[in-house]
Order: sequence, then structure tokens, then C-alpha cells
Amino acid sequence: MISESMTSQERVAAAIGLDKPDRVPIAILATACPFARIAHITNAQFYSDEERANEIIYKVFDDSGGWDLDLGSLVGSSILMNKAIMSLALGLRLEYPGLDLPDHYAYQAREEEVLKPEDYETIAEVGWTEFMLNDFIYRILNITPVELDDIMNAMVPIFFKGKEEWAKRGVATMYPPSPFTNHPFFRLSLGRSMVKFTEDLYYNPDMIDKALKKMTHEFIETLISGCQLFDSKVTLVVEERAGGFFYPPKIFERFWWPYTMEIVDALWSEGIVTWFHLDTSWDKNIHYFKQLPRGSAVLALDGTTNIFAAKEVLRGHLCLAGDVQAALLSIGKVEEVEAYCKKLIDEVGGDGGFILSSGCELPAAIKPDNLKAMIKTGKTYELSKK
Amino acid sequence: MREDLSADIVELNRDKALAAVKVRAERGEDPLAILDECRLGMSLVGERFQAGDYFLAELILSAEIFKKAVVILEPYIAKAQSPKPIGKVVLATLEGDIHDLGKNIFAIILKSKGFEVFDMGADVPPVRVLEKVRETNPDFVGFSVLITSAFDSMRQVANMFEEAGIRRQFKLMVGGGVTTPAVRDYIGADFQTTDAIEGLHYCISNMKGVCND
Repeated sequence: MISESMTSQERVAAAIGLDKPDRVPIAILATACPFARIAHITNAQFYSDEERANEIIYKVFDDSGGWDLDLGSLVGSSILMNKAIMSLALGLRLEYPGLDLPDHYAYQAREEEVLKPEDYETIAEVGWTEFMLNDFIYRILNITPVELDDIMNAMVPIFFKGKEEWAKRGVATMYPPSPFTNHPFFRLSLGRSMVKFTEDLYYNPDMIDKALKKMTHEFIETLISGCQLFDSKVTLVVEERAGGFFYPPKIFERFWWPYTMEIVDALWSEGIVTWFHLDTSWDKNIHYFKQLPRGSAVLALDGTTNIFAAKEVLRGHLCLAGDVQAALLSIGKVEEVEAYCKKLIDEVGGDGGFILSSGCELPAAIKPDNLKAMIKTGKTYELSKK
Repeated sequence: MREDLSADIVELNRDKALAAVKVRAERGEDPLAILDECRLGMSLVGERFQAGDYFLAELILSAEIFKKAVVILEPYIAKAQSPKPIGKVVLATLEGDIHDLGKNIFAIILKSKGFEVFDMGADVPPVRVLEKVRETNPDFVGFSVLITSAFDSMRQVANMFEEAGIRRQFKLMVGGGVTTPAVRDYIGADFQTTDAIEGLHYCISNMKGVCND
């Protein structure tokens, strides 16, 4: 087997730029649960001691062989800070083990109708950030304005610390999954709740358009300034609900695609690549992404979109990522994980433009040996053939 | 009139459909006949969904209309004789998972077809499911899951069913975005899906002789 000839940063950049790296890059997106499981402690224990949590994350990194790109493990944050950041990020009520749930539970999102129809007008007027920080956060999180100020002030240093820690290990990072990376459409859906938001889309569509227009402009400005602050050329954009699993083309084409093209074009004009975190099946929407500039985006798929069919549509145009399913990593055998990763590397990564990763984030019930198998296969399979 | 109500549900004309249900119930029409028309509309939505003409969004919206129609009709149906259900289903999202969107949609779709649904909600302890199954003697038990850590809860309940000697008395179903055929086998379930209409058809096909579809 020959040795690696690229740094993690070079490898990730090559894959995103649709060149063939020395081997497939490996990306990890993880919250506390898989790390706690691997360390044989409860999720509450993991959250309760940030120093120990960091040690565990880095031990998992070392023991598993390490990855090339970290998509935002929240390094160095307390449970309250973590809950506050994630509440700002997701915009809905969260429950945490050790705070609101039994110690062994995964953190959970309680989706309710917190955002009201009349809020669309406010958002259209003042924008999401002002609405969130002055009003909405107090509906979903028990916090005082002073505490919120403290969290906002502490957040950027935490992200910088994470970036520095990963840089010490030679790991690439991107603009983190901060309060500003949920797509405006997804943000409204989470706030209103799935059913209410769907009713709004069909029965009161105009007010959504107004809110989305304002939010999109604000989103672009925030992402660009965030990427400049963190010296990042890739930004996360999370969308789990706009695809064909949920909505027909008439909804997608009116409420998601035009705003998304605007976002990608604006970022790309600044040299920033959009990393789409796309959960649920996007089989019926993949062809739209062909309209984006070549190399301007990465589509991270969760295992429910047919990534092999997506590759045929987007080969040589956009990089794909993800697809190692949560169920496979949780209950599959090591040899099954290895076989599937090899299939992905051969068929999706064969000519470049692919980053190996779990579908969505690492599952809460992950088997440690399966994580090792995914990483080991990514690191050795191609090189062993050379 | 029959066709109008069904068509309004199919076309997702929410306000018109619900106004018609209310007016017709108030003027003394047979509430079960009105309910049948709503069910027909839901069946047609299901057909469009299966054909790929409708998406989950339309399924959700029609289910919401149906749910509201049932709320309007319930006081009238209580006075009439309730029809015998075509089958009984226990649904739950198990301990460790509080997500219930998919389960809720499936419950409404089952009800719209005439199944009696015992929806236990989310984060349900395994022992409570066992008690409910013993109490209701269902034809189907369905688990909905979004978080992988609930796989073991599902397996635990399935083992409890085996130990209690009641596992073969019903079909065990699992559904949700993270489920796959491998998850079905891991739990020892009979059926797995991520598609509510597919789940409905599984239930109907297992109730042949009781249900005409």
C-alpha cells in the first residue's frame, strides 16, 4: 500500500473541486450521543463535563484512525451552552439528558407550533436574527436576556477553539453549524411545526414568500461574514424538509429552489462553497442542482436518497457526501459496513467528487467497530489498490 | 353532494369540505354516511400518492381535514351506532424517542380506512405496550422511530411479546426514516416501511375477508 500524498485540507478541497484526491476524504458530523456511547458513559455524563467530553472526542478520533473534515462537533461547551446554541440553531424546544430527560436519552427536539402565523410579518419586517434574539428564543428556551448576551459572547470563541483544536490534529473544518446555518425554509418549518407550515404553504403562501425573501438576504449576509470571520471557504446549509419526500415540484420551485439558487450564487461569487446537509429523499429534486455552478456545492445525503443515481446526474458537476446509513452503522456487521463503503468509493468516488461520511450525523446507537470500519475503509481501500 | 365532499378532500379544499361536513351533520344527515364520503376522499388521496401524483404534504393536509371532520362528526356518531372496526392497531413511539409526526399521520390514515387505532403516543415504556396489547388484543402493533437508540427498545418489546407467548397473535410493524429491512430483521418484526400508504395496504392485505379493498 502506498502512503498518503495529500493533507486533509488538500484532500477535501480536491474532492469538492471534483478532482481525484489521493484517497476518499472522510467527514464526521456528530453530537454528543455517539461519543458517549463509544466511551460507555451516559449522554448526561458526557454533557456534564466539557473537559472530559473533549478528551473523549479526541480519543475517539485517535482510536478510530481520525477523519479529514469535522463538520462541527461542539468542542468545549457546557451542557447549558450546548443547549442554548442548538436551540438558536434549530429554533425549536430541545430537551437534554440530565436536564430534561433521563441520563441515557439522546437529546430530543420537541416540535410544536411555537412560531405563529402573525410572526411571518414580523420576520419579513425585522429579519430572523432580530426576531430570534429579541423574541423567539424566549419562547423555546428558559433564559434571561443577560444570559443570552453571555452565550452570544461566548459562542464565537467556542467555535474558534474548536477550529484550533481540530487544526492541531490536521483536520479541516468549515463554518460550524451555528445559529445561522439552517436554510430559511427549514427554519420556518421547524418553528411552525411540519403540519402547520404545510398548511401555510398551501393556504397562506404569500406571507411565507415575504418572510423567506427577507430571511434569504439576511442569511446570505450572515454566511458570508461568518465565513470571512472563520476564514472558511465552505459553509454548511441544513435542509431536511424541502425535497420531494415531502413536497411536490410546485412547492419546491416556488418556496425553496429560487431562494437556494440566490444563496449559492451569492456565496459562490465570494468563492464560498455551500455544503448542503440534505436529509430525507431528494431523488425527485437532484436534477435541479445541475443548474448550480460547477463545483459550487456539496450534497451530503442521508442514505434515503439514491446516491448512485444522484452521481449519474451530477457526475463531474457537484461533489456528493454521506450515505452510510444510520441503521447500518448501528446494527450492521463490520464486514457489511466495509462492503458498503467500498461500493460507495468505487461507484460514487471512483472519479473524485465524493466524501465518505455517515448519512446525517453519526447515529446515537453507533457501534464503535462500525465507525472504525468506515474510517479504515476510507483510509486504506484505494491506497491498497495502488 | 357525495362526490363534492370527497372531491373537496382530494383537492384539499379544507374550508369548503369542513363547512359541508358541519352543515350536513347539523341538518340531520347520517353522520356515518358523511364519514364514509370523507373516507372515500382519503382513499383517492392515497391512490394519487401511490401513483406519485401526490406527495407527503398532500397526505398530511388531507389527513388534517379528515381529522377535523371526525371532530365535527363525533357527537353525531356517538348518538348513532358506531360501525365495527375492520381491524385494531396499537401504535407507539418507544422509550428514548419523543418524535411522533410519522406515527400521527399513519394513525389518521388507518382511522380513515376504518381501523380502530390505540395511539399510545411517544416515549412509551416497553411494559406499557405489553399491557396495552394484552388489553386490546390488536391485529397489528406498529412502532415508529426516528432515533437509532430506540432500536433496542423495539427489540426489547418484541422479546417481551415472545416471552408472553403473544407474538404470533398480531403482525408487528416498524416505520420511520431510519428504518430499513435490516432493522425489521433486528427487531423480529413482520413488516417495515417509510411510507404510510404502504403501511395501510399491508394492514388491509392482512385483513382480507374483513376489509373489501
